[in-house]
Amino acid sequence: MATNASPTAGAGPAIVTRDLTRTFTTGRRRERRTVDAVRGISLSIEAGERVAFIGPNGAGKSTSIKMLTGILHPTSGTAQVDGLVPWHDRRRLAGRIGTLFGQRSQLWPELPSRAAYDMLAAVHGIDDRTAAGRVDELGELLGATELFDQPVRTLSLGQRMRCELAAALLHEPGILLLDEPSIGLDLVAKRRFRDLLVSLNRERGTTIFLTSHDVADIEIVADRTIIVNHGRIIVDDTVESLRRTLLASKRIEVGLHHRIDPTCIELLGTTVTEATHTRISLDVDTSATPVRDVIDALLDRLPVADLTVVDPPLEDVIADAYGDSE
Amino acid sequence: MSATAVERPARVPDGMRRELAGRVGRAAWRAGRAELRKNLANPGGLVVSGLFLLVVAGMLAALWSAAAEANGGAVAGYTAAALVWYVTISEITTISQRMQFIDELGDDIGSGRVETALLRPVPMVVLLWAAQVGGALPRLAACCLGGLPLAAVIAGAPPSWPAAALAIPATLLAVTINITGQHVFAAAAFWLRNARATWFVYQKLVFVLGGMLLPLEVLPDWLESIAQWLPFMAMAYVPARLAAGYVEPELLFVQAFWLVALATIAIIVFARGERRLVEAGA
Repeated sequence: MATNASPTAGAGPAIVTRDLTRTFTTGRRRERRTVDAVRGISLSIEAGERVAFIGPNGAGKSTSIKMLTGILHPTSGTAQVDGLVPWHDRRRLAGRIGTLFGQRSQLWPELPSRAAYDMLAAVHGIDDRTAAGRVDELGELLGATELFDQPVRTLSLGQRMRCELAAALLHEPGILLLDEPSIGLDLVAKRRFRDLLVSLNRERGTTIFLTSHDVADIEIVADRTIIVNHGRIIVDDTVESLRRTLLASKRIEVGLHHRIDPTCIELLGTTVTEATHTRISLDVDTSATPVRDVIDALLDRLPVADLTVVDPPLEDVIADAYGDSE
Repeated sequence: MSATAVERPARVPDGMRRELAGRVGRAAWRAGRAELRKNLANPGGLVVSGLFLLVVAGMLAALWSAAAEANGGAVAGYTAAALVWYVTISEITTISQRMQFIDELGDDIGSGRVETALLRPVPMVVLLWAAQVGGALPRLAACCLGGLPLAAVIAGAPPSWPAAALAIPATLLAVTINITGQHVFAAAAFWLRNARATWFVYQKLVFVLGGMLLPLEVLPDWLESIAQWLPFMAMAYVPARLAAGYVEPELLFVQAFWLVALATIAIIVFARGERRLVEAGA
């Protein structure tokens, strides 16, 4: 399906920024101080790319995405999204990009989503027949056709997010800017949402720019990751490359049936981060030792009651990134 | 491209401007229709509006009837029957409003919820306005269903049928002008973030200087003169005076003037407010 007056994959940069900076002033006269939320961010994202823009809370992700959508002026620096300067052409740009801002809804809680799509179609100048066709198509793509007819307040968060995504896609934007879209979703809903974003990108060539503080968003959705902290880009690399470096570790948490001596655990390629008599936590360097081997060894040697494999916390990834960049 | 060296977007061609105007009109119609559906989906709320109108208008009608009788049968030229019709219509135009909209917009701006409205290719004020008008219509109908029979029972038929006929468009205009005025006051939220005080002041201005509680002629001369030159009189006093039997069609032109004036002010202050918001940050 063609997208709405937007760059197609490989047609050039969808988003370009240079030294984008935003400073906020807080406090009253005598206690006035400035906070540098974004400090000179420069990036170029080609049409059709899937980019995760990640960082901890307060890193400058949301401020950056607000500037890219035009709802916030930068203090200095330049940017173009789909060839438009966002803060000069906010309304025109709104017709070319799709946005999803975490928990903020485009839908009306009391009415079915279709009522909002009806209004949004008029907002974007889409005729009724075309709009009806697109809503049907999005319903199929998102597996949400039946949800569109239910009052929004009766939907679960995951279901509502699918309806929100349909609202963001109704005008077939070439660029999707998503600010923490998976926040609050349960694991199943997160997985489904991430898969949807990937299939949208593959089927329609939609450029995806996603802010998140969830490491899984990097591995599943993105093919490129930009890590920001304290308003600056500290890593801009492909996910493949990051897998070999920053994401080359997994954490395994093990619950035990009965008490053991925690000092006796030594496994090649792992670091014990926490050990009590009934609970152990290990970091696995996956470039040296496959996770499966470690799990086999643990099951073999210990009275395992439960076992969980998780991503390392984003803070640890960033700490590693800092170490590398220094 | 830079934030400091400003490059303004190219001027929008006339054809595109017309297309945009049509799009804005359709979007506003649908926003209003959705709000209408929302209110119809909540019949309990409409029943409460109608009952509240019955209680308030009933009390005021009794109060003013007693005042008229004590004053030799009329107050400021209004007979007891005329006063009953006056307060019924003035209450209908006001109770069908959701004046807490001013307060809510302040909350939306303060919390950042307003961002979704900024991310649409049509002006935010138009969609907000249309939604408020759409929401007011079923409440207006509910208030009429409660209030008009009450006035007829207490005071009999309207004092003048031609004046009553004029009161119908005047009531619709009054509701629309009130909503437009709320948008002008609500825009203060772009600067103040918390618009509760603005809401409070606006309510009181409509109640007194708009002639909701009492005909403007009852006010001291100097205050009446001021009130007659303010837009609030177009929000309650005009349809109420017509319903009280005064055949004064020129009042509809006064309302039309205030509608255009307030709409222009609302568009300007919202544009400024939005600009301030995107410069300062939501």
